[in-house]
This record gives sequence, C-alpha cells and structure tokens, in this order.
Amino acid sequence: MKNIRKTIILLLLAFFSFLRGYAQEETIITGRIVDKADKTTIIGANIIEYDSEDRVVSGTTSDVNGNFVYEMVDPSNTVKVSVIGYATQTIEVDPSKPIVVELSSDDIAIGEVTITAEARTSNRLTNVAERDDASSTVKIDLVEMQDAGITSAADALQGRVSGLDIISASGDPGAGSQLVIRGLGSMSGSSPLIVIDGIPQMKVSSAQLDLSSANQEDISELVNIALQDIKSIEVLKDAASTSIYGSRGADGVLLIETHKGRMGAVQFDYTFKSSVNIQPDQIPMLNGDEYIMLQLEEWHNSQGVFDIPPEIAYDRDFDDFYNYSANTDWIGAITQTGFTQDHFFNISGGGEKTRYYTSFSYVDEGGTTINTSSKRFSTRLNLDYFLSRKLFFSIQFNYNRNAREGNVTPWGRSNVRSIAYRKAPNMSIWEYDHEGKPTGEYFSPINSYQGSGASYYNPVALAELGYDNSLSNSLQNTFILRYTINDLLTFNETVTYQYNGSKSEAYIPYNALGVDWLDMDVNQAEEGNNISSSIKTESTLSINNPFKNEDHSISGTIGWLTEQQYSEWLNIQSNKLPSVDLQDPAITGQIRYIGSGLGERRDLSGLANVNYKFKDRYLFNANFRADANSAFGINHRWVTFYGVKFGWRFASEAFLDSWDWLGNESRFIVNFGKAGRQPSDTYARFATYESTGTGVYITNPAIVPTSIQLSNMMAESVYSYDIGGELYLFNDRIYMQGQFYDKVTHDLLFTGYAIPSSSGFGSLRYLNAGKLRNTGWDFMADGTVINKRDFRLAFNFNISHNVNMFTELPNNFVTERDVSVGNGQYPKRVIEGEAIGSFFGFRYLGVWPSDEDVKAYDEEGNILVDSEGVPVPLSYLGTYNFKGGDAIYKDLNYDGVIDLNDVEYIGDSNPDYIGGFGSNLRYKNFDFSFSFHYRLGFDIVNGVAISTEGMGDRNNQSKAVLNRWRVQGQDEEGMLPRAYLNHPCNNLGSDRYVERGDFIRLNNIKLGYRFKKEFCDKLGIRNATLAMSARKLMTFTSYTGQDPEVGVAGGDPFWMGVDNARTPPSKIVTFTLSVGF
Amino acid sequence: MKGMKMKVKYIVLAILLAVQYSCSEWMELLPPGGLIREEFWKTKEDVNAVLMGAYESFASMDGTLFQFGEMRADMLTDDINLGGTQRNIMEGNIYPENGMSNWSGFYRIINYTNEVIKNAPLVQEIDDTYTDYQLKSVMSEAYFLRSLAYFYLVRIFKDVPLVLEPTESDDSEVYFPKTDGDMVLDSMILDLEQNRQFAPTEYNTLEEYRGRATKAAYDALIADIALWKFDYEKVIKHVEYIEANEEYEIMPNDLWFDIFYPGNSLEGIFEFQFDMANGQQNSVYGMTQRLSYSYDPSQKALQMFAPEYGAAELIRGQNSSIAKYGEDDFIVWKYVGREPDGISVRTGIEQTSANWIVYRLADVLLMKAEALSQLERYTEALNILNEIRERADVPPLTLPNSKIAFEDAIMEERALELAFEGKRWFDLLRMGRRNNFARKADLIEVIIQNVPSTQKRILATKLTNPLGWYMPIQESELEHNPALVQNPYYKF
Repeated sequence: MKNIRKTIILLLLAFFSFLRGYAQEETIITGRIVDKADKTTIIGANIIEYDSEDRVVSGTTSDVNGNFVYEMVDPSNTVKVSVIGYATQTIEVDPSKPIVVELSSDDIAIGEVTITAEARTSNRLTNVAERDDASSTVKIDLVEMQDAGITSAADALQGRVSGLDIISASGDPGAGSQLVIRGLGSMSGSSPLIVIDGIPQMKVSSAQLDLSSANQEDISELVNIALQDIKSIEVLKDAASTSIYGSRGADGVLLIETHKGRMGAVQFDYTFKSSVNIQPDQIPMLNGDEYIMLQLEEWHNSQGVFDIPPEIAYDRDFDDFYNYSANTDWIGAITQTGFTQDHFFNISGGGEKTRYYTSFSYVDEGGTTINTSSKRFSTRLNLDYFLSRKLFFSIQFNYNRNAREGNVTPWGRSNVRSIAYRKAPNMSIWEYDHEGKPTGEYFSPINSYQGSGASYYNPVALAELGYDNSLSNSLQNTFILRYTINDLLTFNETVTYQYNGSKSEAYIPYNALGVDWLDMDVNQAEEGNNISSSIKTESTLSINNPFKNEDHSISGTIGWLTEQQYSEWLNIQSNKLPSVDLQDPAITGQIRYIGSGLGERRDLSGLANVNYKFKDRYLFNANFRADANSAFGINHRWVTFYGVKFGWRFASEAFLDSWDWLGNESRFIVNFGKAGRQPSDTYARFATYESTGTGVYITNPAIVPTSIQLSNMMAESVYSYDIGGELYLFNDRIYMQGQFYDKVTHDLLFTGYAIPSSSGFGSLRYLNAGKLRNTGWDFMADGTVINKRDFRLAFNFNISHNVNMFTELPNNFVTERDVSVGNGQYPKRVIEGEAIGSFFGFRYLGVWPSDEDVKAYDEEGNILVDSEGVPVPLSYLGTYNFKGGDAIYKDLNYDGVIDLNDVEYIGDSNPDYIGGFGSNLRYKNFDFSFSFHYRLGFDIVNGVAISTEGMGDRNNQSKAVLNRWRVQGQDEEGMLPRAYLNHPCNNLGSDRYVERGDFIRLNNIKLGYRFKKEFCDKLGIRNATLAMSARKLMTFTSYTGQDPEVGVAGGDPFWMGVDNARTPPSKIVTFTLSVGF
Repeated sequence: MKGMKMKVKYIVLAILLAVQYSCSEWMELLPPGGLIREEFWKTKEDVNAVLMGAYESFASMDGTLFQFGEMRADMLTDDINLGGTQRNIMEGNIYPENGMSNWSGFYRIINYTNEVIKNAPLVQEIDDTYTDYQLKSVMSEAYFLRSLAYFYLVRIFKDVPLVLEPTESDDSEVYFPKTDGDMVLDSMILDLEQNRQFAPTEYNTLEEYRGRATKAAYDALIADIALWKFDYEKVIKHVEYIEANEEYEIMPNDLWFDIFYPGNSLEGIFEFQFDMANGQQNSVYGMTQRLSYSYDPSQKALQMFAPEYGAAELIRGQNSSIAKYGEDDFIVWKYVGREPDGISVRTGIEQTSANWIVYRLADVLLMKAEALSQLERYTEALNILNEIRERADVPPLTLPNSKIAFEDAIMEERALELAFEGKRWFDLLRMGRRNNFARKADLIEVIIQNVPSTQKRILATKLTNPLGWYMPIQESELEHNPALVQNPYYKF
C-alpha cells in the first residue's frame, strides 16, 4: 500500500514539477486526511497554502486513499485543510513525517467545491468517477509531451494509444491526420468525435456542398487548439462508452481536456520552439542524359526505325536545344527545408471565487515544398467563477486563425510534386533562347515533348507563381452554469456557440502553365467562402449518491440536448483575367463557375444514465440515449443507443489480500453497447422535383421527380462487445490494460446505391444495408523500472490487432468494379468475408530473357499447343504476343492468354498490428525520452513506382530502371522489363508494385534539461527548461517508396491503399525553451 | 429576500427547459432551395408540370425511337462516325453489355406518368379549382404516354417489368420481375379503352393539338397496338374513328414535305414537339445531318428513292426523303431539310426543331389497309393503298387477292411513305411474327443484310429463334435486379 502511495506521490511530483519547477531544497509535506469520528479516509479534501495575508498561494487535494503530498511554496506560510461537511483545520507544517489530519464534521459547508470536477470524468453526461467507469479508455497526459516537436494533438497520440490508428495525411503544413479507432467501420468515412471540455466539436456537414477536400482537414482544424492548452486526451473506444454520444459515437470519441485555472498566485509561462523540417530523401530519379537514353530505347523498341523527336535528338540547330539539354532535379527544385517557430504564452491562477487560465499561441510553420506554409494563431480563456456555494459558472472562449499557403493544383490535373516526379529532367526550369542565353522566363512551352503544357506544366513555375491559400477563423464560446439544488441534485446548463469561417483563394497565371491565350486555364482565379456555425445546449440533472451506507453508491444523470447547425458556401471561378496582376475572380474575367449553397440540420437528444457501485468493488454503469436528427428518414426519426458496463475490482477481494504484488485498482470489465453514425447529407431524405433539361414542353412548365424519398435512412449502428481489464502490479510499477472486442457495424450507409432502372431512377442516394465487422484486441503496458528521486526509468508499449471484413453485403450489390485490366490498373472487388482494401491483380514473375523463351505452358508444365500441335503463343488478351524483355505474368488458368481470368488476390491494405513503444528516463535535471510507432502486416500499392518504373511513356523514371532489359538473352536478377513506348501490358496492375508496408518509425526523441532552482532564483524566474527533440527521424521499413504511411479511405468499399507521391511527413528537429515566472 | 432569489432561479430554469421542449416541429427542416414532395402535389399546375415533364422526356428520346425503329431494319446504313454501340447492333453483334439495351429512359417516363396517375386524384381533393373534367383529361394523357412507353418497350424487349405505381420512397417495391409482353399490352389496351372517353379533343394551340394526346392519338395508339396483336377488327374500328374526324386530312401532294417542315400538318395526329427557341432540341438532326457521318440511307433506300438507282418516286423521293450531296453521298433529308429540294437545310433555331412524328394519318390508314387485307377485304385495302400512292404521285397498284401480296405491297408502301420515321423495324417484326412466324425467313433476310458476309449464315441460323429479334436486358440491370431473367437468346 505504501508503495502505491509513493508512486502516486511521484506521479504528482512529476506533474507539479512541470508547473512549479524542480526544487532541490523543497518543503514537502505528506499526510493523510481522515474523518475524526470513524477514521475513514476523506477523498478530495483541499489542502491550501495561505500566505501571511491569508491569500491563497497554492494547494492540492487528497487522493482516493485520503493521502496527499504537497510541496510548499514558502515553508513559513500556513496550510489549511478543508472539505465540504467538515470544519476547516490549519495544520502544522512538518516535512519530516507524514501528518495525519483528523477532520471533524461540520454542518457549515465550505466554498471549495472544485474537487467534484477533479474526481469525475471530464464528461458531464455520465456523472461517474473515472475509476468507477467500466470503459475501455486510454488517457494520455499531454503535459509531459509538450517539449517534443509535436505540432498537433494527432501527432501526440500517434503510436501512443492501443487501437487508435493515426496516419499523417501529408507532410504539408497544417494538413490533418486520419484517425481510425479499432478499424474501418463505415462506408461513409470514419473519424472519431472530438469533445473538448465536454463540448462535441462541429463537423462540417455538407448541404449539397462539395467540400470533398475539406474532410481530411476536419480533424486538424478541430484539434487546432494550441497543443500546450491540452492537459489530457482520453480515447473512448467501446460503443458502450461512446453510446452516450449517440449517433456521433460510432467511431470512438476523443475527450480533450484543457488546462484550467488553479488556486494560487498568478503564473506566467512562456514556451518557444524552433524547428527545422526536413523532407526525407527523395526517390532517385533519372537525370537528363539517362532520361534521353531511356526515351530513345522506348522509341526504338516500339517503333523499330523512327524519326528521332528533336527534343531528344541532340540537334544543336533545334530552337529549343538549350531548353531540352538540362539535367534538372525537379523534385529538388520544389523541395525546401522548412522552419517552424512556435510561441506560446499563458497566464493562470485564481482565488476562492475565480480561477482563470488564458493562453496565446502563434505557430509559423514552413512546409518542405516551396511556397507552402501555415501560420496559426490561437487564444483560449477558461474562466471559472464561484458565485456562491450553490451557483457556479464558467466561460470558455477559444479563437483560432489559420492562414495556410499552398501550391495550386490546376483542376483535373496532378499536383506539383506528382508532376515533378514525372517531368522530363532534360527540360530546364528557365527558358533559354536558341543561343543558350537565359530569357528570364520560366520554360513552359504550350506543347512539350511530354504532351500539352497544361498537363506537363513547369512545377517550379506553378509553385512560384500560382497559389492556393486559405484563411480560416474559428470561434467557440461556451457558457456553463451549475446549480447545486441540494445534496442529491445538481443542475447543469451548457450553451455553446461555434463558428467556422474559411476563405480560399487560388490563382494560376498563364505563364505557370504552358497554355496559349485562348485556353480555358489562362489566368485562372478561384475564390471560395465557407461558413458554418452551430448552437448547442445541454441541460443535465445529476443525481448524487443518496446512500450514507458505504456499501452502496449510486449516481446518475438525465439530460436533454439540442443542436442546430448551419452552413453556407460560395465558390466562384474565373479565367482569362486580363493580367497576371489581377487575381480577383470578380474582376472582368470570364466566369467559369459560380455556385453557392446552404444547409441546416437539427438534433435533439435525450439521455439517462445510472452508475451503481457495491462495496467499491462491483461496478455497474448503464446509459441510454435517444437521438432525433432532421436528416434521418421519417420512419426512423428517433434512434436509440445504449451501453451496459460491468466492472469488478477483484484485487480488493479479501481472498486476494495475500497477493501483495497485485494493486487494488486492478479490475476486470465487460461491456456492450450500441452507438451510431449520422448520414452527412442533410437533405438527402427528401424526394425532390426539378425542372427538366429545358424546363418546358411546348410552352408549359415541365417538372419531374429527381430523387426518391428516403423514409428509412438512418444512422449506421455499431454494436460492440468488450471484455478486458486493467492490472496494477508490483506497487503500481507496472500497469497493463487490454481488451478483446467484437464490433459490428449494421445498416452501413451506402451512397448512390444502384437500384433497377425500371423504378425510373438509377440509384438511391443512401441505403442502410450490410454489415461490416471489426474484431481484435488492444493491449498496452507501462512500467517503471527505476523509481528514485534523482533517477527514474519508465517504459511503455502498446499493440493492437484488428481484423476487418464484410460479413454481409447489401442485396444485389455489384461486387466488382473496374473489371478492365491495363497498365497501372487494378481490378477492384469486394468479397463477403474479406477485408475492405484487398488488392487483386496479376502475379509478376520477372522478365522474358529472349523472344525464344516466351512460351505458354499447361498445368503439367508442358508447352501449350493447339489442336494441330503448333505451340500457342503467349499473349495478352489474345491481341499482343509477348516478346523478349516483356514482363512475365502468371497464367493462372494455363490458357496461354493473360487476361482478367488470371487476376487473383495479391494483398491487403489493413495492418495486422499497430502500436508503439517508448521509454522515458529522468536523471537529476535531465530527461530523455523516445517513442516508436509501428504498423505491421499490410501491403501498399506503390503508385509512385507504377509511374516511375513502367518505362512505357514519356514520364521521367526512377534510377531503378537503369537495371532494365536491353538485349536479347539478357537475364539478370531483379532486372526490369524493357523500355517500350506505349507497351500494352508491361506495367499491368500486378504484385510487382505491391509491397509490404510494414514500418517501425522513431516518432519522437527528446533530451531535456531543467535548470536548477538556484539558477532560476538568481534570474528571478520560477523555472526554466531546455529541450532538443526530433520527430520522425528514422524509419525502419522494407518499403521502397518514399513513405509507407499511406492513408485510408473509409468511404469507399473498393478502397485500396495506394502511395501517390504526396509530400511525405518531414523529419522535424526542434529546440524548445520554456520559462515560468 | 433569499426565497425570492430562489424563485427567480427556478423560473429561469423552467424557462430554459421550456424553450428546449416547445419545438415539436423543430425537426422538420426543409431544404432552402428546390422543390420537395412535401411541398409538391398541391395544385393542378403541379400535376400539369409533371405531365409536361413526361412529354418532354419522351420527346428527348427521339433519337432512341429513331434508332430502335431503323437500326436493325434495311433502310439505314452506318457511316464512319457511328459509335461501336450502334454499329454492333447493326451488324448483329448484340450483347447484354450494349448501351442501347438500357431501358431506363422509358421507365423514367413511366415513373413520371405513374406519379401523375397516382397523385392527380389526391390533388383534386386539395385544389378546389380542379374540375373532374380537367382531372380526367390530364390522367388520360398520362395513360396515353405510359401505354406508348410500354408499347415501345414490348416491341424492343418483348417481356418487361410492368410497373404501375410511382417509385416514391425507399419503401417502394423496385425489384419487379418480367411480365409477358402480350399481358403488358393487354393491360395497356384496357387502360386506353377505359380512358379514351376522357381524352381531350381540343387544345388552345396547334402545337398542343398535335403535340399532346388527343382522342385521335388514342385511336392511333389503340389501332397500332391492336395491329401488333393482330386484332384487325379493332384496328379498323379505331382508324375509322380518326377518319370520321374532320380535323385530319391527307396532305395534298405538293405539300407533302410540309408534314416534316414546318410540321404539325393537317396529317399529324401525334408529334413530339421540338422548338429550339424553347431549348427543346431533337436528336435526329444530329444523327442524320451531312457532317454527322452516322447514319446514311441504305442501298435499299437509294433504290426506293434515288432516280439514278431506278426509283420512280416523285414526291417522296430524292430531295424529300433523302438528299444527294456529291458523288454517292446521300443523307436522310426529312429532319434536315426545309424544302423538298435537297439543298435548303434547316438553319438557326430551326436546325434541331423538327418534330418526331409518332402517328400521322397516312400511317394509320396503312394500318387499316393491313388489317383489311388480313381480313380478306382486299378491295377496301387496295383503295387505301392507292389513295396513298396517288397522293405521292405514283401509279396505282393492281394486286392479286392474296394476303401475302397485300402484306408485301403494304410493307413496301409503308417503307416509302414512312421512311426513316422509326416504323420500319417494327413493321418487319410484325410481319415476322404474323401467323405463327410464317414469314420468319423474310425478316431474317433483312436483318442479316448489314452483317459481315462471313457471319451471315451463322446469324441467320441463330435468328430462327424469334427471341433474337428483341434486345437483351442490360447486364447492369440484371445485376441490380435479381428478379429479372435474361432473354434466353442472350444466355450463352
């Protein structure tokens, strides 16, 4: 028991040391608070230090065992202990021994009621103490992670939480991450609900608006509150717990808790971070000379004798000779080292009546692609005010401004980085005249050797001259009122207003693209505005434990929630603006598109929950929630959700008392529940009528029905069963938790579900059908190996395993799509019992060494002959006969023809195991930590290799193609097929491009130093720390592409993971200085 | 004082709660723009608008009707620009993947008409200004369009799903099996006969009179379906109703081309109206105009119309039905020209404004002739035949009293009179089906004309199965509807 206390003490110390500085000669008092009458321990008593003028300096509260440890700011101050129902008592300060404080009960209640907030979860809806909630949750304390070079909450969680898969969407500044809890469970995109201080964050809901690009950034926008403001993030994984969030809870919930003001003198903290962002090494590409050689070979192999195009002919008389004789490193030319500066400042403190916490943060992040950056400003205010013993109110205000600069991608074309990979390296960035003198212009010909200038634009010119910038402002204001009616009942009212406004501006000048003045893409400007807002109210009545008998404890909540969301958007695109200096689409250009839309949705919810505990060992929680949503079909206006949870703190049982090594908090839990996921389209349920194409017949107005009413559209339902437990071992030095789960999504929301056209319609906009199952387990462990005052060493590890499969497909679901085969194409299939994200393709077996070697074989390995005994030529689709130097594909059905029938399962994009591990070492004033993130057992289609190793077109290729077949009879290990312009089948979707994606990555590594107290005192500051950290420094993987962290697309049943040359996450080295005073 | 304060607090709390509870209609959020069912079907104008939507959608299928009526027959040949979809059909390579086997256009119209038939009576209960007469007349138009759509479907696909209720919500039945084509037509005949009495006899404008269902249009459709079903008495009866109507007259021979330009002639019984000024553009112009290089008159058509190929047609010949552009370059002229001179093309907003004529008097008269001859009333039949020929300024025929002789003569006359009007293939099918496929071989002979010579024999053998004369159900439709069974001819 004593050791548990010690651990807690140390943990608290660790916590406080951050806020207060690590003092060498501190006055630490420890003790226990008990009831004078029956000697039972008192939990949550306030231990407050007062200065000579009776002002509150600082304080702490007693823990679950009534113990407390407190470091005094000034040993000469007085310390008082208070708790509701007891008389306040001043204690004698004696650091040398534990103090036992006996409080006598007192009818006069005292104002300090903050303890309830501490003991309960940050979830106002459940009214249960964290330790009594039988949920599968993981709570990550962010305080200790602040010094690492992390820029978002998603970064902080990556690899830290079992069962939570986080994939950085892209290394571009400000780009978001994808978060998937316990596997893909939806057809309409999975992303967890984010709840900040009890307020569910608004997701941009689409009202017929096309914000497809906004989806990925949603989460980052939401979590874009300054990282330093976040105190902890709790991840709710099981539907039993998330069911309290009803139709939003299906994808799990992230509960983010921000710092609040604490009682004590005013404190200032300032943190400065400076980072260098370095792009990982690029895939080595051919230089200009190698490229020309390859092109000549492609022409020769496909055409035999040919006229050499002047661009690759080494013809000094060719006008553009100098423009096509370069050795340009296009990727290098658009890549830069990014620098990030992060300033954070906060003020916090408070007295008996008011507590405040306010912060300002400014992050200026430079991207690793030229002209990409993100500048974020955010401020937060948490103000708590105790009006009286019974009445409390709190105001939370948060404002964010995010200005992002990016490279523009012309509509329907590839992005800058992807073009840089493909662009011919013998072309120069700058234009030269026929004498080789630079003209000062970018070289953007209307037609280049590779194709039209608009498709094969000059990526440097586009990155430099064009832009796609956005500015978003978001605001959240929350008002909370709590009224303690009596000992039994507490009323809570929360009103939240959220506003998001964003504006985007893009511009493509004519000289960045190679186009003439008549082209649609000349001087193209686009501007978009998007506003969304929501008002939420939450009224709850909490019922507190009425029992005086300690054996029973019951609590609960009933609540009523409303929400209104509103969004509108406007988009305007113009082209042919008269000058490159005029970049506003509203200026006399040619309007190409103007669109606008708006949408509204409303939610009503009722909820109730009850928590019962017997003998502090047997836990029971039940909750129920009913949601109505204006988007749901008329037959399913109300959808109900529930969760039932059981817990057993078995270690407290008498028969296990002898097991000293087993901590009392160890418990076993079982729960099951149902949570939901809303359809995103607000008005999809309505049958609509629209004018026909012309709108009239003869001269009479003509209107026709255009969509079917969806009376049955409803939320997707996720049913999950969880069984698991938590173990505290060896005086809490080792903590383990693990769960097995079975999660089945019913009534998956399929979009655009095809129905027989004899109905008069092609599809239903949404259909709830089918089942998708995710089963698996999560495990995590923390261990403290050495735990001394000056030397502490701890490890953490987590792993999870998930298997995902369709267990039921909707009736008449067409399980194949893109059944055609061809270069770079993978036929797509969905199979009942198989995971989403399975790949199908050909088996690649190498390269035919010579024409004579090409033979078709039968099952026995004999040469395949026709009825007249003539050998059957091995062909592709019967139209092309393979030759030496061509790729060998496995002829699965031994018919001598490579076609769709030779396609088989070749991989799966879902990882078998995900997780992370790390360690934390503290020695005297130094601390050192590192953490790894891993994803194992999944395959990636290397989309970059498809386009850089195919040698069938005029795109630049990677250095890998230097090892290619060139002459008859050449047979080398690992050589690639021959170069051949427009080869019909040398680059088919095959396992040649499917690679194991497994990786283990050193996500964070950090070395910190905390200045000694004397040194701080000399400077007149409270504390100071220095840290160096690095992020994503090393990756261990066999994947040959640039980055194996490939995103998932939950919305598409035919999804597969393809690596498409997006900016890989950069390596970030960060220097941090923080000062408190 | 303290009690007072408490009271205030409770009142505030009560108001807060009340505000949240008081919104019973709060969840009924309607879309800010656009019409929805909840706001529709309130007035007779709504009913009319959907009916017009059905007309307009049907009209926009003119290209489809043209192709189904001519593609597999012998009057058209393909030119270089024709897509593979159509070319495959013309060459007899028909597979369920073929895009033309998509029947969704017809069913879209059927759904629109089903909406009208179901909702119009409900609207009358709300709209006090909606008279019984108006209701019945609008519904009769909907029945007409639905029957016409099914008649096309049965002639193209044979057995098709019979959908008579609108698809309103995701509760509606959508997985319909096929119904026997004859039963579909029986059901349509029944609807038509019951509603004929309500069919309008007058409209305010000429365009509406020729472009919307009238009693005469009803009679023409009933006669056509009855002829398809070989119910000759019914054909004669309904054609005689039209003959009795003084509104319809055979156009004089010097005004024959007026039937097509400007259209809506005295002869027109039902024509889908096109007027580019209103944005209504036909598709046949694009398919037949000179530069489209899609469809050209076939060798047989040239022999019928071009003097250099021996044709004796004066009124309906070269420069009217077809026109010659340079050496051996002929085009279909009916939808392209504005004079029977082979030179004056439609220009400006008239370019794609030619109506799609579904029924005209010459057509129904020839239907009657066919019925009469099948009933061995040869003299009356010959009179009609020669009336049509006289108008075309070609010499009258004398025919032996034989059904086959008359059938051949009438088929030929229809090909001349109604060339490229989407009739020929259905006429041939009718001939092939008659008397238990007695003249099947003649039809097959026509079908294999366009087929490459190497395949003629194989196809001719295969097509002895009459199911091969109909289109397959499209592959994707079969995938989406498990209740459907493919036409056995296409099950390989």
